[in-house]
Amino acid sequence: MNTISVAEGRRSPGLVLDARLAGNARGALYLAVIAAAVGLLIMAFGSPFIVRLMATAYINLIVVVGLQIFMGNANVVNIGHAGFMALGAYFVAIFATPVMMKAVVIPNAPFGMSGVEVGALWAFLISVAMTTLIGLISGLVLVRLAGIAATILTISILVIVQGVLVTWTDLFRGAQAFFGIPKAVGPGLIILATVAALVIARMFKGSRAGVQLRASATDPLAAEAMGVDVKRLRLVAWVLGSAVVGCAGALYALYAGTINARAFYFHTAFLTLAMSIVGGMRSVTGAMVGVALLTVLLELIRIVEGGITVFGIEFPDMLGLSGLMLGVIIVTVMCFRPDGFMGGHEIEEAIAALRKRFGRGKDES
Amino acid sequence: MTAMALEADLGVDEGAPKGPLPAAPARCLDIVDLSKRFGGVYAVRGVTLRCGAGEILGLIGPNGAGKSTLINLITGTLRPDTGAVTMDGRSLVGLTVPQCARAGVGRTFQNIRLFAHLTVRQNVEVAHTTASRHRVGGPELHSIDDLLSRMGLAALAERMATTLPYGLQRRLEIARALALAPSYLLLDEPAAGMNDTESEQLVDLIQKIRDDFGCGVLVIEHDLRFIRRVCERVAVLHMGEILTIGGPEDVLNDPRVIDVYIGGGDEEEPT
Repeated sequence: MNTISVAEGRRSPGLVLDARLAGNARGALYLAVIAAAVGLLIMAFGSPFIVRLMATAYINLIVVVGLQIFMGNANVVNIGHAGFMALGAYFVAIFATPVMMKAVVIPNAPFGMSGVEVGALWAFLISVAMTTLIGLISGLVLVRLAGIAATILTISILVIVQGVLVTWTDLFRGAQAFFGIPKAVGPGLIILATVAALVIARMFKGSRAGVQLRASATDPLAAEAMGVDVKRLRLVAWVLGSAVVGCAGALYALYAGTINARAFYFHTAFLTLAMSIVGGMRSVTGAMVGVALLTVLLELIRIVEGGITVFGIEFPDMLGLSGLMLGVIIVTVMCFRPDGFMGGHEIEEAIAALRKRFGRGKDES
Repeated sequence: MTAMALEADLGVDEGAPKGPLPAAPARCLDIVDLSKRFGGVYAVRGVTLRCGAGEILGLIGPNGAGKSTLINLITGTLRPDTGAVTMDGRSLVGLTVPQCARAGVGRTFQNIRLFAHLTVRQNVEVAHTTASRHRVGGPELHSIDDLLSRMGLAALAERMATTLPYGLQRRLEIARALALAPSYLLLDEPAAGMNDTESEQLVDLIQKIRDDFGCGVLVIEHDLRFIRRVCERVAVLHMGEILTIGGPEDVLNDPRVIDVYIGGGDEEEPT
């Protein structure tokens, strides 16, 4: 307890904020550089199949990052994000699809939407704005709940969105595929958007609001006693997360050209949730690690699933193996790293820890 | 804690407690005729406690005396049925917990409640952000680095808060509350679980805090030896009412107080 004797800390009150900004910016830069470098390398050297796989993985990464903003900082499990992805995708489809195509796809659309056509960029902006607005409205209710009740509300958001999409056939084409959306987005733009999402999430996590929100996640009562407006911060994170996820949905629609309501339901919700948990939901780096890990593993499993030949021995088709393996992977990670692969750490912290361990090892030897 | 809010419309007028009280001096906590009932039982009944500026005041009482309820009434966790709580002349009644914190009530918890997954610095920063954005008219707000070094935590700033030893966790909790630039600091059993050396250091620390940060300190504690050493005045709460207030020696030698603590305090039934 002789800590008072070591109480000669740095005294630079004016530099506190700058140090924080610099630290966050450095962390964001690491993430941005890695995401951009991997993406661009794949674009340059990958086969069309691999590039396509990368583009979908990056869209998933935007979703997982959007998920991290709320779930990772507020510590409320969210399953409704696939619903916001659907909203982003469908709003962009409704606004961007050419009038001629709409005559085939949604001829009886209400509000005269079958006669409306705006450019892809405008459609994207409108779509993200509308998704954000719906995020705000649902958020006002959500932030009043805590824990499992909040999670159940997110599930109901997912089910409501799916229900509306499937039954409002005049506007959303129901269970049938919505096609004819202009393919205005290539892999380059997706990489750019991913980098932007990573930077936003990392800066938010390290911001004053982010730190207060993370504090409230571990102990809401103590946080309130420290003057933290928990509800307001949760709302900010929820709306920001919805916007990012909506952005991912819109990009997906503009990349694929065809969307289907079934693609934005529990399967997607749980796959992205698994990515988040495996990587470590408290960390933005974890989002990246989780997406990379699960994308690669599931692709490998898919090869095995189709039946392969090893040393002349032919293995039969093993359909459903990927689903089984997804479960195995999650259970394994949860056993050995319950906080996910990154355990809440960001890449710069992990590097610093490795360096320390490596340095210490050298000293001892 | 579902309070029986039968009397939701509290007859409390803003900032003007009843009775001919002079204008409240700066940085003091005034509790006037405060009552809180749970069903038919009064947890706190007609408590009047004037905590002066920069005073170290002890609050003692046997289990169930109403200490926790009183704390909850001051911090905004509970709403009083009647009575007034004012801080620096501003009424705290009806404010939410965060609003009370912004008005200058800093507190620690009986069971340490640090923010896990955050570093020592970030724990302090949570409260510091509040103070720098919302606090007006409080004592000078120290920088985070200054706070940490004054509390002897500077070398541990980047450690995860929950990895600190117990005594330092207690100290960090106090540092965190001080980052609110509080007018009054409420310490809820700060010496609990500490050995003699540690509580000795805590006595010095509390006095240093009052001098350095210009806030009053309200100490709720079971350890009477600790109270005797640190407090300038001691109030005894019993059955929700103030039994006596005075200097530590007078109060702790008061036969009524000894009776409450050692004698038949537990046998009496609340009425």
